[in-house]
Order: sequence, then C-alpha cells, then structure tokens
Amino acid sequence: MTKYVIKRLFSGLITIFLVFVINFILIHIAPGDPVSVMMGKDNNDPELRAALMAKYGLDQPLYVQFYRQLTTTIRGDLGDSYIYSRPVVDMIAEKIGPTLLLVFPSALIALIIGAAMGILSARHEGSVIDVIFSGLTYILNAMPSFWLGLMLIILFATRLNLLPSSGMIDVRAGYTGFRYILDVLRHLALPLGTLVLINIPYYYRIAKSSVLQVTNEEFITTFRATGMSERKIFNKYVFKNAILPVVTVFGITMAFLISGVTLIETVFAWPGTGRLTLTAINQRDYTVLMGMYLVVSVMVALTMIVVDIVYALLDPRIRY
Amino acid sequence: MSETVLSIDNLCVTYKNRQKKVYAVKNASFSIEKGDAVGIVGESGSGKSTLAMALLRLLPARTAEVTGKADFLGRDLLTVDDKALADLRWKELSVVFQKAMSSFSPVHRIGEQIEDIYRVHTPNAQKGEAKERAVELLKLVNLGDRVWRLYPHELSGGMLQRVAIAMSLLFNPRLLIMDEATTALDVVTQGQLLNEIKHMEETLDMTRIMITHDMSVVAASCNKVVVMYAGDIVEVGPVKKVLKTPAHPYTQGLLGSFPSLKGETHALRAIPGSIPDLSQQYNECIFAPRCPHATEACRKARPEPVQVGEGWSSRCVLCGGGKA
Repeated sequence: MTKYVIKRLFSGLITIFLVFVINFILIHIAPGDPVSVMMGKDNNDPELRAALMAKYGLDQPLYVQFYRQLTTTIRGDLGDSYIYSRPVVDMIAEKIGPTLLLVFPSALIALIIGAAMGILSARHEGSVIDVIFSGLTYILNAMPSFWLGLMLIILFATRLNLLPSSGMIDVRAGYTGFRYILDVLRHLALPLGTLVLINIPYYYRIAKSSVLQVTNEEFITTFRATGMSERKIFNKYVFKNAILPVVTVFGITMAFLISGVTLIETVFAWPGTGRLTLTAINQRDYTVLMGMYLVVSVMVALTMIVVDIVYALLDPRIRY
Repeated sequence: MSETVLSIDNLCVTYKNRQKKVYAVKNASFSIEKGDAVGIVGESGSGKSTLAMALLRLLPARTAEVTGKADFLGRDLLTVDDKALADLRWKELSVVFQKAMSSFSPVHRIGEQIEDIYRVHTPNAQKGEAKERAVELLKLVNLGDRVWRLYPHELSGGMLQRVAIAMSLLFNPRLLIMDEATTALDVVTQGQLLNEIKHMEETLDMTRIMITHDMSVVAASCNKVVVMYAGDIVEVGPVKKVLKTPAHPYTQGLLGSFPSLKGETHALRAIPGSIPDLSQQYNECIFAPRCPHATEACRKARPEPVQVGEGWSSRCVLCGGGKA
C-alpha cells in the first residue's frame, strides 16, 4: 500500500510537469503578446518595446525562458504579473480560498445527494420515485450551468428577494465573527446550489446503474440463497461494490469542476480564481495564466491521487 | 429405509412479460430419496437451471410464475413463508453456482464472507467459531486455512470453486444443489472435485442435485438422472440403466452426441433441428419435430410419463411396450 501511494505521488508529479510544459508551449503559440498590451494601442515605439522585452526576459530564446520559469516555479516563485507588476503567488493566494470554498463543498454535496438519489432509484426501479428522479436529472443534465445560475438569480434574488445575487460578502454591512460566516453562507447558497444541481446527474446515473448491476451479480444471488437478510446484503455487499464507480466519477468531475468553475464565478461575481484567469486571458498576462494553470493542475493531480488512494482502500484488486 | 428428501409434483415455471409468456418448465415431477445423487441434464435452455432456481425460490416474483408443489422434508418449498424459508436456506438446502469467480464479493475477504454467512444462522457464534468450521471444510476440499485471509481475485477459478463448495457445506445441508458447479473447470480438476464430492457424501450423509449438460459428470457422480428437453422432463431413471438403454428418443440422441471411452467407436451424431419456441404451448410431443421415430400418435397429444422400469419413466408414447 505504501508503495502504491509513493508510485501514485510520483506519477502525479510527472503529470504536473507535463502540464507545465504544455502550458508553456500553448501560451507562446497563441496569437497576441503582452508587450503590445502593456504599450497601449497607439504606441509603436520600438525602443520601449525592446526595453519591456528585456525587462521581462521575453527577448531570450524560448528554452532560456522555459528554464528560468521552471527553476523559479520550483522555488515557489511564479513571477510577477506582466500587467499588475505584483507577485502572481500573492494574486492567486488571495483568490484561491473562495474558489475552494465553492468547489469542494459542491462536489461533496452533489456526490452525497446524487448517489443517494441513484441508490433510491435503483432500489425501487420503475417506481414513481425512480421516474421522477430520472426525469429530473435528465432536465438538469441538459441545462447549461450559467443559464441555470441566471435562472436561480432571477427566482431567488430578484423575484423572491431571499438571497443576494452576487459577491461573497455584503461589503456595506461589515459583519464580523458569526454574522460574517452567516453572510458568506448566504452568498454561497446560489453559486453552490448551481454547481450541486449541475453535478447531481453524473452521480445519480452512475450510482443507479452501478447498484442495479451489482444487484444482479451472482454473489448477491448466493447471499440470498444463504438466507441472509436483504438489508444486510445491501448495506454491506451491494453498497461497497456499487460505490466504486461513484468514486471514479468523483475524481473525473472534480477535474472538470476545478477548471470549469470560472463560468459560475463570473455569473455570480464570485471573487475566486476564475475571474482572475479570465482577465489574464484577455490581457495576455502570461505569468498569471501559467500560475493559474499550474495551480489548477496541481489541484486536479492531488484530487486524483486522493481518489486513487481511496479507491485502493476500497478495492483490494487495485493494490498492486 | 429410503426416506424422501424432496418430492416435486407438477412444478411449472412460466416467465412472463407484457408481450408474451415463456413456458420454461412444464409439469415437472420426480422425487429424491435420501443419499441420492440426481443429475439433471439437458441442453442450454431446457429449463434445468430454472427448475433449480424455482426450488431455491430465487426467481424474481414479478417475472416468473411458479406453480405446483415441492415437498422438502415435509414443507412445501414453493409456498413456505419467508421466515421459515430463511431458516431452511443454507442450513438444509444450499447451492453452488456455476461461476465461482463471481460467487464472492470481490472487495471483501473470503473469511469475512464466510463468517457473515455463518452468522446468518448462528448469530451468537463465538469469535473464531466460523473460522474453525470453515477451515475444517476447506481441508475437505484440499485447501489450506490461508484462503481465509485472501480476496477472491487472489485465488484461481478451481480454488474458488472449491471454496464455494466448502461454503455450501457450512451447516451440513440435507440437500445440495450444484448448478453447473464443475462446468467451468478443466477435466482434471473436475474429476478431482467429483471424487472429493462423492467422498464427502459418504461421510456427511448428503443428498445432491447435479445440474449439468455433461453426461460424463452424471455418469461419474450420480445414481439417478433426470433428462430435460424444452422444459419437459422427458426421462427419469437410474443412471446405469438410462445410459445403457435410454428409453426416450431424445435421451438416445443426447447420448449419441457424446463420445464413449469404452466399446466400439461410432460417429458422433448431432440431433437435427433446434429447440422449439417455448413461448408457444404445444399439444403434441415437444420432441416430435426432431424425433426420428415420430408417428401420428406423437402429434395428437402431449404424452404422459410412461413407466419403463423400476423408478424409471419416459414421456414417450413409443415406450408403452418397453424400448422404442
């Protein structure tokens, strides 16, 4: 098991390095350059251009740029933003908290609700509950996340006036302590709710099909033939076998969620890394983009490692 | 001295859905005495597994309709209430399925699964009691106690099949149903297991139903044979007599399609035609379309079982005066 964990960590590191390389290449072959943006639209002074290129090392050959970027990154320095001249690490650090607050709880809640609905549906296949849940998840699955977010804003913020439509805190109120937490939760409700609703169908479908499949396995028939109670069979044997694919799906959707949360952050003006990324793309802010992609890939890689280890704990066949 | 363990009377199983019904087992009747080893043979789709699943009450009530009687130690298996059924299961009536690989949960240790099954009927068992019993049985099928700590994927198919057999004997059941339990094994392993099973029967005083499509398994390990064709029991009788002088044309055909080790070699013959559509009800002998001896009489009505010898009957009109 220890060997497996070490192996997994190592392959995670390689993944992150590859992401680093690919990002570096992609950003450099994309059209547009940061110097033009910094110089402004109507300025074409070649001297200023050369000075800026020299200042940021953009006049060096690509492999030098790559080497410098790699070594500084390893030292924990992601460089300064081309546009804001601030350390990228600081910029990301102040935005990552709100994003994590959105991503992890929504993934967990979606997992629990989706899997519970799926299990219930499978246990009562063909019943009214099953039909309602299936229909509901089809509809949710077909909705674009930003559209659902907007609809929720219209319903809960505009019409019912129950929840705030954007931001993370009420700036004017200046709450502290418990009131502050409550305020954040109120602001969190809609973006979190949107993400949960969007992710429920994946867990629902995989949990339902997985439970149905395991229920038809021969060993379940064997346990029935031994006179074991249905409850025990389900709670112990069906559940543990059926939960495995759900864990896999959790890893996959987490990756999508971490990178796809940008849209939701934009809709709800959530002060997370999503907007930071979007602005950086528009301004060709290479260092910020590189930093963000790196952070995202590290988060995805870490999540995958955790998921793989959980999987190995649940399934003895994985521990090679 | 012979005591009837299981007596099946007019058992019918019909699978149904909205569009149609499939008559999988029709009017099955036979009985099993204590100490018997009964082989149920027939080709795929003849209803032999369905019959076993019906006896074990493992068919889904929504899609399978079971009628008739199956008297097991004085209780009707088909109508006994759930609680009494749960008491009978595994303690008196246990089963080994064909695919041992999938007969265990892949993510639980074998010991844990056996322990759970042991506790179904002895909830207050001391710690270690189940293991003690299991190790004893594992020894019987030539496996060490090491198996207890292993996961199913760490064993070979043959070993798992042995574990499944050992597990089925946990409570010394009166009747053991082996549904193609040796089919997936190679002939050497199969032969070993059959010998072990026969040996165990002598020591454990057990009655066995052996479902198979392999005549050699029946010949090697049973004393009574039930031949099924398209849901009908076409012939029931003592193995030695049936194998030597099969009364029903289908049995003759079935035997003709197996090679014989002893005696003269002859060309293997396949039975021409294929199994009839079981969603139809037939008012003739079900085998008539494929039968080389079929006459007018065969197509007039469904034949009733005819007594051929002692404990030997055949559902064929030609058997009235002896051999067809």
